Amino acid sequence: MKPNFTQKVTNWGNFPIVEKEMRSEDSFKKIKEFVLNHNEVIARGNGRCYGDASLGENIFSTKKLNKFISFDRLNGIIECESGVLLSEVLEISVPQGYFLYVTPGTKFISIGGAIASDVHGKNHHAEGCFSEYVTEFKLMTENGDIIICSREENSDKFWATIGGMGLTGIILSAKFKLKNIETAYIRQESIKAENLDEIFRLFEESESWTYTVAWIDCLQKGKNIGRSILMRGEHAFRHELTGNDAKNPLVLKKKFSPTVPFYFPNFVLNALTVKIFNFLYYKKQSKKEVKNFTDYETFFYPLDAVTDWNKIYGKSGFIQYQMVIPKETGKEGMKKILETIANSGNGSFLAVLKLFGENNPEAYNSFPTEGYTLALDFKVNSKLKKLVDQLDQIVQEFGGRIYLTKDSMSRSSLTAYLKNVNSSKFVSLQHKRILNNK
Amino acid sequence: MIVLGSTSEVAQAFVEKALQEGEKFERIYLFTSNRETTERFARHIDVKFLQQSEIIELDLTKTINYSEFDQINSSVLFCATGYLGEGTEEGLYDNKNTERIIDINYSKLVPVMNYFAQKFESRRSGTIIGLSSVAGDRGRQSNFIYGSAKAAFTAYLSGLRNYLFEKKVHVMTVKPGFMATKMTEGLPLNPKLTVTPKKAAECIYKAFKKQKNIVYVLPIWGVIMLIIRNIPEFIFKKLKL
Ligand SMILES: Cc1cc2nc3c(=O)[nH]c(=O)nc-3n(C[C@H](O)[C@H](O)[C@H](O)COP(=O)(O)OP(=O)(O)OC[C@H]3O[C@@H](n4cnc5c(N)ncnc54)[C@H](O)[C@@H]3O)c2cc1C
Repeated sequence: MKPNFTQKVTNWGNFPIVEKEMRSEDSFKKIKEFVLNHNEVIARGNGRCYGDASLGENIFSTKKLNKFISFDRLNGIIECESGVLLSEVLEISVPQGYFLYVTPGTKFISIGGAIASDVHGKNHHAEGCFSEYVTEFKLMTENGDIIICSREENSDKFWATIGGMGLTGIILSAKFKLKNIETAYIRQESIKAENLDEIFRLFEESESWTYTVAWIDCLQKGKNIGRSILMRGEHAFRHELTGNDAKNPLVLKKKFSPTVPFYFPNFVLNALTVKIFNFLYYKKQSKKEVKNFTDYETFFYPLDAVTDWNKIYGKSGFIQYQMVIPKETGKEGMKKILETIANSGNGSFLAVLKLFGENNPEAYNSFPTEGYTLALDFKVNSKLKKLVDQLDQIVQEFGGRIYLTKDSMSRSSLTAYLKNVNSSKFVSLQHKRILNNK
Repeated sequence: MIVLGSTSEVAQAFVEKALQEGEKFERIYLFTSNRETTERFARHIDVKFLQQSEIIELDLTKTINYSEFDQINSSVLFCATGYLGEGTEEGLYDNKNTERIIDINYSKLVPVMNYFAQKFESRRSGTIIGLSSVAGDRGRQSNFIYGSAKAAFTAYLSGLRNYLFEKKVHVMTVKPGFMATKMTEGLPLNPKLTVTPKKAAECIYKAFKKQKNIVYVLPIWGVIMLIIRNIPEFIFKKLKL
């Protein structure tokens, strides 16, 4: 039997699916061989981008670059290979009193993926993107050379790679800073908002909170548009905790996590079930305002509690549509977007709203810019392309942009912020699609 | 812990599993023929578990200087040394391939195992875990050189278990079945019959705690091999396995 590295590969949205060569190596020599022996290469971390960003002709998986290199426990600086997952970092850092400065809504992404997408969290307005805390990384370039990139050394490559979607090379390892925490818990407040006006007011009132995010029921119409729950939080201090939590504040109890065993049949998720879900989610919280303490897993990664939840969307898959609209016209834009979705009948099971703060102009390939960002999940069906087109039109009118790591069908003018990444070696399906659509 | 074949993903996963479960080792001795890969692992367990380790180069195709192992003592030995080589079609009449397979999986390995077995015997305690293979349960046309070396290794472990029983040393034979590792990357393995190194390590750790004798990592392999072993030879020889 001769090895055959061609296989079916797809990312979190299960759309699109490709049949391409995918290899993983852990020695630099072999990675170099792979890069030199193939015309088009793209790196892939844990495939948690939703669409086609980490798919290509020859995929290099960082699965085997999974080792830690050093941990300066005094200053909270960690170095690891690019395939290490955020979950693995947290596993060792939290018990030592350190947390990630910036984390997306899932901890199952790789460090390489975090840099290549320059991910943001619920604290963008306060603490910026992942790259703010990256001090350096090693990058394998087109000719197989390994260069160290930092703000001082190869800084042009450093900034092009941040948010560069893997198009500048393969990140092999990285060094980044962690933040001090006293406990593994979050002091949280959840507040219900009746409509868009109220949720925007709440966001602006919450600017002094480190973490804020809102869950929107996007099937509401008329005066109820924007009905939502705002959640805001801070890392809890030790003295705030009581009982057992206070005794062992940095260690969480093991929890049971269910798995979605197979792709759900198509009828499970339809406009009605989405409506019911959103209704229940909103009604679950009966009081206007709830204050409590919760562990960091529940606060940051509620979706990770159900393994393979993406299978709920069935075999045809789903997309995530995430855009940002500048702050000044954000409210108006969001209203239009929510109206368009409600009228389309194409419900979104999950709709998350956030306020981005100022961006770092040096990180020019990063998605976030000051304004409101909304992320919506849509099941792939025959009506979806039309809806995406309508939404793109609105985003365009309002001068917004689309998040590349979630994109698989938007118009390329909305992703035009991506620059300095044209290489004939590192090529993704996404980049080809974007260039072809111009 | 002494680890033979430290670049093996199962061996590494087993070390991690044991450390995660709170097993304490003063030092882990990582035997390897690939220093670079093993160094990465040594740093990794140092960062993750503050676990000290030492890398010892061991190339089973070369002469071994046992005096270098004098100071090495431990209560657990995990042997994941293995070499698949070319299958029958490509490699049967290639003597270099044949010799390498037999050396690494059996003939050069057993003296090293014996060296440490003696230390275990004199301490009158400890566990020796050897990774053999289902390929050793019956010779099949596709890879019987490898299979025969593993069969010999299985027989060796069985005898060693018997011999060391009275001396309070436990010997465990592991037959992993298909595993998704470097060795098998790109091969069309049936996913239902394949485990990840991590899953395999968890299973091996459990068996280690329960002092099992022979373990198939996926129970289904026990059944499959039971059937394969019992097919009458006059039929078996006609099968394309
Ligand atoms: C449930 C869920 C919630 C999410 N929430 C958020 C959120 O709140 N905020 C946010 O910003 N994102 C969010 N995301 C998106 C996710 O954080 C990004 O897509 C992330 O980049 C995925 O990392 P990955 O390791 O899976 O990389 P992949 O998905 O495999 O790849 C993503 C991109 O990174 C590149 N890449 C990966 N590894 C390397 C490497 N070693 N070198 C060079 N390029 C590389 C790929 O080429 C590709 O362009 C979420 C995703 C999910 C599934």
